[in-house]
Amino acid sequence: MKSRLEQVRSDTSAVLKGRTELLKPLAGTHLVITGGTGFLGTWLLELISALNDDHQFNTRVTVYSRSTPDFVRRHPHLGFRKEFRFLEGDIRFLTELPHEANYIIHAAALTDRRLFASTPTAVGEVNSVGTIRLLRAASLLEDLRNLLLVSSGLIYGPQSLTMERINENYSSGFPCDNANAIYAESKRLSEAFAASFVSETKIPLVIARPFAFVGPYQSLELPWAVTDFIRDSLAGRPIKIMGDGSTVRSLMYASDFAYWTLAALVRGQARHAYNIGSPEPVDLLSLARMITHHFSPPPDILTKVGRSGHETTRLVPCVDKACRELGVQLTVPLAEAIQKTINWHRTPEVS
Amino acid sequence: MKNQRIIVTDPTLRDGSHACSHQISVEQIRRYATAAEAAGVDYLEVGHGNGLGASSLQIGLSLVPEREMLATARACLKQTGLSVHVMPGVATIKREIANAMEVGVDLFRVASHCTEADLTQRHISYVLNAGKEAWGVLMMTHMASKEILLEESKKMQSYGAQGIMLMDSAGAAVPDDVKQKIGLLAEKLEVPVGFHAHNNLGLSVANSLAALEVGARILDGTARGFGAGAGNAPLELVVAAMQRLGYRCRADLYKVLDAGELAEELFAENLPVSNSITIVSGLAGVFSGFAKPVQRAAKQMGVDPRDVFVELGRRKVVGGQEDLILEVASELAARQKPVADGKPR
Amino acid sequence: MQPTPEKMKVAILGTGNIGTDLLMKVLRSPWLDCRLFAGRNLSSPGMMKADQLGVPVSGKGIEGIVQRRAEFDLVFDATSAEDHKRHAVILAELGLLAVDLTPAKVGKICVPAVNLEECLEAKNVNMVSCGGQASIPLVFAIASANPDIEYIETVSSIASRSAGPATRINLDEYLATTENAMAVFARGGRTKAILNLNPAQPCVHMQTTVLAKIKEPDLEKTRTAVAAIVRKIQEYVPGYQLIVPPLIESNRLAVMVRVEGRGDYLPKYAGNLDIINCAAIAVAEAHARKHSPPMPVQNGGVPRP
Repeated sequence: MKSRLEQVRSDTSAVLKGRTELLKPLAGTHLVITGGTGFLGTWLLELISALNDDHQFNTRVTVYSRSTPDFVRRHPHLGFRKEFRFLEGDIRFLTELPHEANYIIHAAALTDRRLFASTPTAVGEVNSVGTIRLLRAASLLEDLRNLLLVSSGLIYGPQSLTMERINENYSSGFPCDNANAIYAESKRLSEAFAASFVSETKIPLVIARPFAFVGPYQSLELPWAVTDFIRDSLAGRPIKIMGDGSTVRSLMYASDFAYWTLAALVRGQARHAYNIGSPEPVDLLSLARMITHHFSPPPDILTKVGRSGHETTRLVPCVDKACRELGVQLTVPLAEAIQKTINWHRTPEVS
Repeated sequence: MKNQRIIVTDPTLRDGSHACSHQISVEQIRRYATAAEAAGVDYLEVGHGNGLGASSLQIGLSLVPEREMLATARACLKQTGLSVHVMPGVATIKREIANAMEVGVDLFRVASHCTEADLTQRHISYVLNAGKEAWGVLMMTHMASKEILLEESKKMQSYGAQGIMLMDSAGAAVPDDVKQKIGLLAEKLEVPVGFHAHNNLGLSVANSLAALEVGARILDGTARGFGAGAGNAPLELVVAAMQRLGYRCRADLYKVLDAGELAEELFAENLPVSNSITIVSGLAGVFSGFAKPVQRAAKQMGVDPRDVFVELGRRKVVGGQEDLILEVASELAARQKPVADGKPR
Repeated sequence: MQPTPEKMKVAILGTGNIGTDLLMKVLRSPWLDCRLFAGRNLSSPGMMKADQLGVPVSGKGIEGIVQRRAEFDLVFDATSAEDHKRHAVILAELGLLAVDLTPAKVGKICVPAVNLEECLEAKNVNMVSCGGQASIPLVFAIASANPDIEYIETVSSIASRSAGPATRINLDEYLATTENAMAVFARGGRTKAILNLNPAQPCVHMQTTVLAKIKEPDLEKTRTAVAAIVRKIQEYVPGYQLIVPPLIESNRLAVMVRVEGRGDYLPKYAGNLDIINCAAIAVAEAHARKHSPPMPVQNGGVPRP
């Protein structure tokens, strides 16, 4: 059985196979990733490692994060690479960026839904103040080629149930005056700040709006449907669905997420936003079955666990723009994504 | 669309200044302004090629002091408004704009490079507060996308600009570029949008008509195209084409034709031509007004003027940066010099 | 054993990009010791950087200076013209030397390569503008070699990104300040300043051209004078480079320089901001040297200035 590391390496080779030419502008440059030790950040570092090891890209990376020592301990194969530098710090207090930075991926944000509930103010502050600090520092750089702001598919507001997929021009109103709104609002605000900075300084900037993802390195403690389902299945517990299972989402595999992100960074058109995610819809009940299918005996699936009247919602992106303009495709279909993720979690961690 | 009257602005005595190295005389101004008034153009623009305050060693010294140029024209105009071109960074409020107001300028077209609209804020505000008309002008518009042009235009609109002009200062545009850019502005702006063409690629009239097609309400044209580089869209052709296509304007075609005949006589020595210099300039996307200074510098340094244009284009030089011509010409000359052993570098 | 020169204690007022870049230069200077970095926003990037570097900070602006007046001898003011007009009065009352980087024009115009010695007598010196620092030395050199200057002009081109909102809204004032300062050294010739912003990316470095209308220009003498003054400027602005030595073209004398910034905090393309900071440091260091004990001669060598 392949080790976790080998599985991830195999995934990165697969997504890069025949597709490194598109990322060539990164070769020989200095990339800064804020929030670089999260789920996306870790996969970005894996891809860059592969690009450096197997394709002589010689891309240097500076990572800003608030959990650097922990990251280095858990992922020594990334933490000790000589071309990666890890800086500890809170994005709200960023003073300057490395003068030689050419590319920036701003992924530093508080994204944990449990935090949204307990400390919404901190969420709002990190997401908005952090972005302003980053943009100000970026406008002092000598040779900035592109800045990718990682926003969120949630900025659109609730998706109408009759719309199959939402594209980058979609907008639906939602009330801003309750604490639940803070994540989406702070992400929208960071996009508005980005637009303002671009208007004043003309720095090259692209926006990515990610939807939902699954894959190795994603903490199963996060309160998403897919992580809950996998966690409960691994623990031999029944899967619990709040509503009737008709809520529709989509899930993109981590390697595609990271590749599309890099593609948006090097090929995204300035001042444009790109949805990143899978366009294949799946309802929660089907997702649950896809997961339990991998367990013997398959865990029970309990529906209507929440109070009655739990609403059905839908959130599925249209990614035609990314496919067309960035030259990317979905390489890992959902069933395979689920299988790989479960295999990885079943593989014991090497101490 | 076609029932709306098109405003015709005639910068013969301003853009034309470039064509004769800013040596327009009082006599030329008086005679042409009289003809322009008779022709019924909406505004006549007068002054140094780069506008108020631009008489300088950098861009060229005017033969006639600015105040006198404007006063001469003012005396000849009744229905036709007197307009000036104003570039912040060259013209100041206290000196040039205030003086021009005293002389009786009606319209101030406040211009910036196409990405620097915020430079025009104070100047536009000053003009409006004094009760005069102010338009915003974006220059070298081939250097920015339509989205950026819209964003910059909106800034000028928010300062109170009563019209927005896109100037194809390098004569680099083709009709489709114009349709995209003017089209977007005409759609999204509240104020009228206009277009100012240059003829470096022989497309000035076609570009002007393309602008009208997508909603431009203001067009610049100069008599016989008398203007920088390969000249502007010839006024007579623009007005004739508008008549053919059913666009209304205040100008009278025959009187416009007469003004053209007069211009042919008045500016005989510097009527625009299309030649290798102007064509390479247009392709390189360099400010049309650089044509004469490039030729002079290239001649003095013994280099090919076309090479100078290509290099200026590569460096993305903007209007007002005539000093870089000297640097580029010097550099090219230095590269050509053979080293001590007789071999070229 | 030689006594080490005592560093002059200075404070910086204004903690934006310019103040922060100035701080980096002060920290590098063997003659200056930054005792306070004062502004209005303790959480600004500049303040945080100063704090990280162990420099005392104050969020009380000029009040912070007043409270600790005995701790320093010289204050750099990188705030705004409006604010400096107030600060100048207070600093004068406190008996502190003021180096003004704003366009307030309260004090003596100071261009180190040209009039450093005289400026050491003044209690408040004004650094004019970026175009002024780049062009005035050339104006001075041209005037020294040619008695008959009718008219002299300076054109600066800077990267759009190095021109912040303050520069843009005060463009007219920038031009007037530069022209007036040039006139002081142009020996009666009329002056004009022009500023161009260029948005090209990668950002362009600052470039300044001085053009002059002179009846009978002495090109040789001008070349010598310009070369000498360029060397002088390079002592405090290493990135100041003569790119087109004086020449005559189309009846005008022309000379062109390019200024590459040091990249201390501001990017290298912002040579326009860097030159004014370097000039301010040069003045302060000159004050420091003036007040430090003379160095003993070693091994028959020349004492360090």
